[in-house]
Amino acid sequence: MIRFGPGNLRIPKFEKPVYVVAGGLTDYRKKYPEKNTCQLCTEALRMAVEENDLKVDPEKFRRMVNWCVYSQFADHFGDQLLAAAKIHDYLGFDPLGNVEIKTGGATGGSAVLAAAQAIASGYANCVPVVGWERMDEVTTKVGNSYIASAACKDFESELGWMYAAYYALMAQRYQYENSVPHETLAKIAVKNRLHAYYSPFAQNPGKYTVEDVLKNEIVSDPLTFLECCVMSVGAAVLILADEETAHKLTDKPVQLKAICGGSHTLRTADRRNMPILLLPNETEATYKEYFQGRRHEWPGFSSFLAARMAAYLAYNMAGIKDPVEDFDVLETHDAFTISDVQTYEDIGLRPYGRGHEFIDSGDAYFDGRLPTNLSGGLIGTMHAVGATGVFQLVEVLWQLQGKYDKFHGDPKMWTRYGKKKPADWKSLQAKNPKRGCAISHAGTGSHVTCAIMEKP
Amino acid sequence: MAINWPTRAAEVLNEEPLVIKNDKFWYHIHSYGGWGKFFQGLRAKKLLATRCANPKCAEKRLWLPPRAECPDCWHDMEWVEAPQVGTIFTHSTVTYPGELFRLAPGTPLISVELEGVCTKLMSWLKDGKPAFGMKVKAVFNTAKPTNTILDLAWVPA
Repeated sequence: MIRFGPGNLRIPKFEKPVYVVAGGLTDYRKKYPEKNTCQLCTEALRMAVEENDLKVDPEKFRRMVNWCVYSQFADHFGDQLLAAAKIHDYLGFDPLGNVEIKTGGATGGSAVLAAAQAIASGYANCVPVVGWERMDEVTTKVGNSYIASAACKDFESELGWMYAAYYALMAQRYQYENSVPHETLAKIAVKNRLHAYYSPFAQNPGKYTVEDVLKNEIVSDPLTFLECCVMSVGAAVLILADEETAHKLTDKPVQLKAICGGSHTLRTADRRNMPILLLPNETEATYKEYFQGRRHEWPGFSSFLAARMAAYLAYNMAGIKDPVEDFDVLETHDAFTISDVQTYEDIGLRPYGRGHEFIDSGDAYFDGRLPTNLSGGLIGTMHAVGATGVFQLVEVLWQLQGKYDKFHGDPKMWTRYGKKKPADWKSLQAKNPKRGCAISHAGTGSHVTCAIMEKP
Repeated sequence: MAINWPTRAAEVLNEEPLVIKNDKFWYHIHSYGGWGKFFQGLRAKKLLATRCANPKCAEKRLWLPPRAECPDCWHDMEWVEAPQVGTIFTHSTVTYPGELFRLAPGTPLISVELEGVCTKLMSWLKDGKPAFGMKVKAVFNTAKPTNTILDLAWVPA
């Protein structure tokens, strides 16, 4: 049993409000031999500083920065230890202090959390977060082995050397307990790849049908290739500032109301049961019937306590009462279709056991109550791991600033990456969104962050 | 005396943009530390778990994979033999494993529920078709052990 003491569930607090002012991306590719990692990070930073309507020129901006946070998942992939020192130099930020953050797939979220802590405490007032991953130095099979090095090397990695298999074990158990139609899972892959179709940044866009996904080859049953995220090369940058600095930089600052983290065992096997930690939109009655009344058999094998913990803290910190009502856009870490459904439950979009309703009801779609992964997500657009959590927040920022079309609809954005804007391109700008959320997620749920941004 | 240029050249994979191939050949030394007894136990057909030896510990659960120290009170644990018959809690057959996988593609991975053990041990099914709740028994690779978790597998009981 996990028992919380009085300090364990303290709601985090920022001593000073934290703002997000600008974001920049590269496009994302399976291989990117044309540009080295330093260049990709520079490109994303230049977009953030030069193309976000900032009120200062790049030179003046450089003189305002006082701390930097770097975000890379695996030194294995980049084959360059202390890569942050090199990138920091190439970005021209020496001799300012900096840190490199590492929490697996949630590295991007954790890096933004670290930057927010610096701003909130007053330690710094202008902080770029620079995330990247270079996953094209090894074959896909070796890449999967590297990623599986982020499972337990003593007792688990040898069993497959493949993260999709570890998620497939959870997926099978989730399906055994909840019987979600595979069609519903397939719909997530179809939706996110379609969203990616409208993004010039996307690596794996496409107009697929549910049948395409179901008939696709299986990686580890029940997951098909089309239900799994891409492996990418690319970078993303988000710039955080305190209130005064934010207003000096932009007329459209967005407040980072909360960003909180949770954790759970690296091995799914070792997860001990406890009573469900309730979110503000749940009560004891919500779970009266759950899992044949065995409410204490949670999180079991198919729920992410780390995600629930992060959402619990962030919702209470930002005053969220009901996520589907209170958020206008959401980015989830859709590494696999099944983990997306699990996450819907962990972050309270639906009670446990009913996550699939978030898709089947239409809520998750562009015209639905809470459009989810309008960016194309990890399945359609990118998973350059260290950049991913940063990328999600850049896309949420642009949605809240009303800049989706600027960055996705301009034909020049497409030609920049050697692509042609599709003739049937459609704007996925949400209608006057006020509040957005992004979930950054590692391992089989080892680290999760929940970030909430709000237009003032 | 002039120093010679390197004898081993990196292969050029692409000229424009320039991409070269860096070879790497070395091994890692994997120290099991306080968990080594578990792998030595597999050689003797024993499934060794650990339980907290602190009489004041509230949980005293049986952990498998074993832990050298109790996560609830940090006290040393003692070794206990776990049951060798259990049931399949979940399973997935991995068609496309990663590079280092030493078993054949198409090997069913399983998580095994064992009575009294607080975890669901990840392992593999050596024989048969996996199903939820299927009763399985442990088998051990004693002939030529790899001294990894692969030395433990399960077959229908």
